[in-house]
Amino acid sequence: MDATAQAPEPTVGIQARFAALLASSSQALSFLGQLNLAALASLRRRARFPRADFVRVTLQCSVQALVIVVVVNLLVGAILAFVGAVQLVKFGAGIYVADLVGIAVAREMAAVMTAVVMAGRTGASFAAELATMQGNEEVDALEVLGLDTVAYLVLPRVIALTLVMPMLYLYGCAAGLLGGLLVAASMMSLAPAAYLDRSVEALNLAQFVVGGSKSICFGFLIALTACWYGLNAARDAAGVGVATTHAVVTGIVGVIALDAVFAICANALGV
Amino acid sequence: MPAAASTPPGPAEAPAPLIDVRGLCMRFGDRIVQERVSFSVGAKTIFAIMGVSGCGKSTLLRHMIGLLRPAAGQVFYGGTDYWAGDLEARNRLRSGCGMLFQSAALWSSMTIRDNIGLPLAQVPGFEGAKRDARVAEVLHWVGLEEFAGFYPADLSGGMKKRAGLARAIAASPPLLLLDEPSSGLDPISSRGFDELILDIRERTGAAVIFVSHELPSLLSIADDGIFLDADSHHPIAHGSARQLLDHCDHPTVHAFMRREDLAATDRDYASEKALP
Repeated sequence: MDATAQAPEPTVGIQARFAALLASSSQALSFLGQLNLAALASLRRRARFPRADFVRVTLQCSVQALVIVVVVNLLVGAILAFVGAVQLVKFGAGIYVADLVGIAVAREMAAVMTAVVMAGRTGASFAAELATMQGNEEVDALEVLGLDTVAYLVLPRVIALTLVMPMLYLYGCAAGLLGGLLVAASMMSLAPAAYLDRSVEALNLAQFVVGGSKSICFGFLIALTACWYGLNAARDAAGVGVATTHAVVTGIVGVIALDAVFAICANALGV
Repeated sequence: MPAAASTPPGPAEAPAPLIDVRGLCMRFGDRIVQERVSFSVGAKTIFAIMGVSGCGKSTLLRHMIGLLRPAAGQVFYGGTDYWAGDLEARNRLRSGCGMLFQSAALWSSMTIRDNIGLPLAQVPGFEGAKRDARVAEVLHWVGLEEFAGFYPADLSGGMKKRAGLARAIAASPPLLLLDEPSSGLDPISSRGFDELILDIRERTGAAVIFVSHELPSLLSIADDGIFLDADSHHPIAHGSARQLLDHCDHPTVHAFMRREDLAATDRDYASEKALP
């Protein structure tokens, strides 16, 4: 038998993958469009917005996530200070560790680390909850009532996480700066007042605007992908696991990719 | 078709059916689930969709309620083609149906009271105290008035089914679709649920279409029905379960109704047919 005659054409595989990518991209765009229409319908009071569910989800992704966000950002600030201090002290520029930590935290790390934590925590929770509802026919029960499932299930989650992320980002910034201060004060014997003074010198509103804008976009992206995977999950127990995994992985990769886009844009704009 | 145990009344002698399924074809991709499915259900009728597991009973129900679009054929609600209208028109038609899902499908983040209140919130005129009163009334009918503040996770399987039925009837729809209402229930609870369905029919005047393969339920409450065949992918008998039991000689229906070995019944049927 001729082995080469049996081998699949490589271009066929590439074509199939490209077609699948196009199909999923078009579905994702359609989902985004549905979300926009649902938001408009809710604003015009033509679609039912579940206030109780919105409050529950907002609490779930704000107050209940605060501790882990603060702890992670505190540690990241401390690590940045520790790494920076080792190098800067060699040049007698130890005080500039406050600049390093302040700018890195406000501009990048607080937004990214908070987003990664929220993708793993809240994104996974959204995907698992919606996938379970799909498996239990709860989503079908909403459709039978004529309720728009995107308006009823997706919109409150997207709004909640998009609104909450900038606040969590600010807490993350405060925790990161505190982490840097603790390391600087304990390892480098820097006076806390001097550290804070230097931080205020280094930071300006633009850094927070960049970080805050990122956090809003990250929140939107995480909630949207989590809801997408949750609502498109297979109707079995394995489907919940697959949806959750995809939501977290896509959320984290999406956050990093979006952060790179932000970096390029900020550089081009000179911010 | 081997048996048509009951002949549907002519249009001149009966009011327009609540739901009329005409030539429905259901497919998943290239796989045919059922085709040429046609039947109609009038007011106050209890209509059973029967068949062995996997023949497409629940899928038929999902096509009827509009959760799945048929590959071919039509579903008419009171003479109006369901799929001919836009989303708003379809939602309006669907508001005339209440559905009990196989798993009850109660919204887990809501109490039983809120689960029943949500369909009522879609109906103009059911606000505040009126809504609360209606929720209390339907909960009383299904015997769950003490569990209004409970979450679905706190209820047993049978209670969830009853709560699901209360949610389905809350907005007084003229047509109820029940997907295996007594599955997973013990014989006593199953019998109680059958009584409940008859009681609800008496109280509300609604027609009931239910999917089941529970013989006692089929024999005790169904006025009419259809039997779907998994092998030929189309209905093989029409009529009430009692009529099919007494008169239908198709081997699958025969085996189903008498809980017999299908292979043996099939052999008997083939030899009978071979007789001059």
